[in-house]
Amino acid sequence: MLNSVLNVFEQFREDLDEGNDRRERLIKASRDVTNISKKAIFLLHRIVLEDATDDRALVLRAAVSGREKLSEANAIFATMRPELVGDRFWRYQRQVSPGLQEYIEALSFAHYVEHDTLISYQQVQDALSDSDGPFFPLTVSDYLLGLSDLTGGCKSDFERFTPHVRDLSKKQSVTANSLEKIEAAAYAVAVRGSEYDLPQEMLDDLVAQATARFSITDRHEREGGYIESHV
Amino acid sequence: MDPQDLETLNALLEHDVGVSEKIKEQVKEFDKKVRIIVGILGKIHSTPSTLMPELLDSVDPVLLSCQDITTSIADVIPPDQFWRWKDMWSNSMRTAVYAAGLSEYLRNGSLLSLPRASEILGIKEEWKDRFSLPVEDYLHGLISMVNELSRYAINAVTLGQYEEPVRISKFVKEIFSGFTMLNLKNDSLRRRFDSLKYDLKKIEEVVYDVSLRKLVPPAQAMQ
Repeated sequence: MLNSVLNVFEQFREDLDEGNDRRERLIKASRDVTNISKKAIFLLHRIVLEDATDDRALVLRAAVSGREKLSEANAIFATMRPELVGDRFWRYQRQVSPGLQEYIEALSFAHYVEHDTLISYQQVQDALSDSDGPFFPLTVSDYLLGLSDLTGGCKSDFERFTPHVRDLSKKQSVTANSLEKIEAAAYAVAVRGSEYDLPQEMLDDLVAQATARFSITDRHEREGGYIESHV
Repeated sequence: MDPQDLETLNALLEHDVGVSEKIKEQVKEFDKKVRIIVGILGKIHSTPSTLMPELLDSVDPVLLSCQDITTSIADVIPPDQFWRWKDMWSNSMRTAVYAAGLSEYLRNGSLLSLPRASEILGIKEEWKDRFSLPVEDYLHGLISMVNELSRYAINAVTLGQYEEPVRISKFVKEIFSGFTMLNLKNDSLRRRFDSLKYDLKKIEEVVYDVSLRKLVPPAQAMQ
């Protein structure tokens, strides 16, 4: 009987090893996607804050560069496809989520810069596809959690979903927080603007500086706080 | 957010809530059944071998009725979503495997295989992407069985069944050597595997006690 037990466990070992190896590969891929997406976000920030005479051209350039950067992430997603076919997707969803959410944040930011609108669920799923179809199914919670990193602009819409999506309420409070900071910045600019009667160019500078500073501080705080404790 | 997109997302989320609630209902029933089974099997420690078949027979109908549960759960899981929901019932599932494994050992002295465990629980091959018995859960069930057998080894001696610890020792050693072949990560299976060593030691001590007092023939104890 011992031999048969050992044979069976050898099969189990193969099964467990295969799962563990795949999990490791996906964690690594997800981390690479996170890095690329963070770079894309910073890239967008930099371009949007540049001085330009033609704002529309600047915005388009930002969107194109952002997309270009994100296409590197798409290449990674394409390699993940065979690892996530069929029932495997949900088996490893937790490993895929962190990078995917960062990607959705970057993508939605690029979309917002270009179109001034919130990217839709279907548009994100379309971005996560190539000529062979979707790389893997997009979950509603990844979509919402990715977006909730973007802005407080859609806060009230999000509140409808909070009871249904794990972690969304946690992220929501961060979003509320960043919204308050932006409001405070806008207020400071308004007050100082009126006080010193600044010329328009200087006021623009002040706005640019204030929003840049706040959005960057905010990112840092979030990475040190929520994201890390979550990982 | 676009109102139509909002509606779509809401519908998707509500569908998920529906699935989750249906599973919850079934898991509640599953837990009830499993508790009854565990209650019955708790009596093995005070049941003499002559009455054991009868006790084990009383487990079967409850265990087999778990097939209704697995069928109902498999029915509500959308295609490819097994792993999304399985955490909801994996504890009950592990306990069911434990019960089936323990019955199998006490009846036939043999190790319940994974395919046989699936069969007893009515899990069908064609459900694969919606409902299956993963290796991890099966192994958790086996570890619980060994935990229980280490206690049974002691109580069997109390009941005068001196050869039982020797049989258990051989059986558990085989399972243990099987586990040593696995590359376990630092997870719950790993921690529970560590508990097997203590079980093994406890059983060996019982074997030592009965052979020292010549309650079993030495040749048998050496097996």
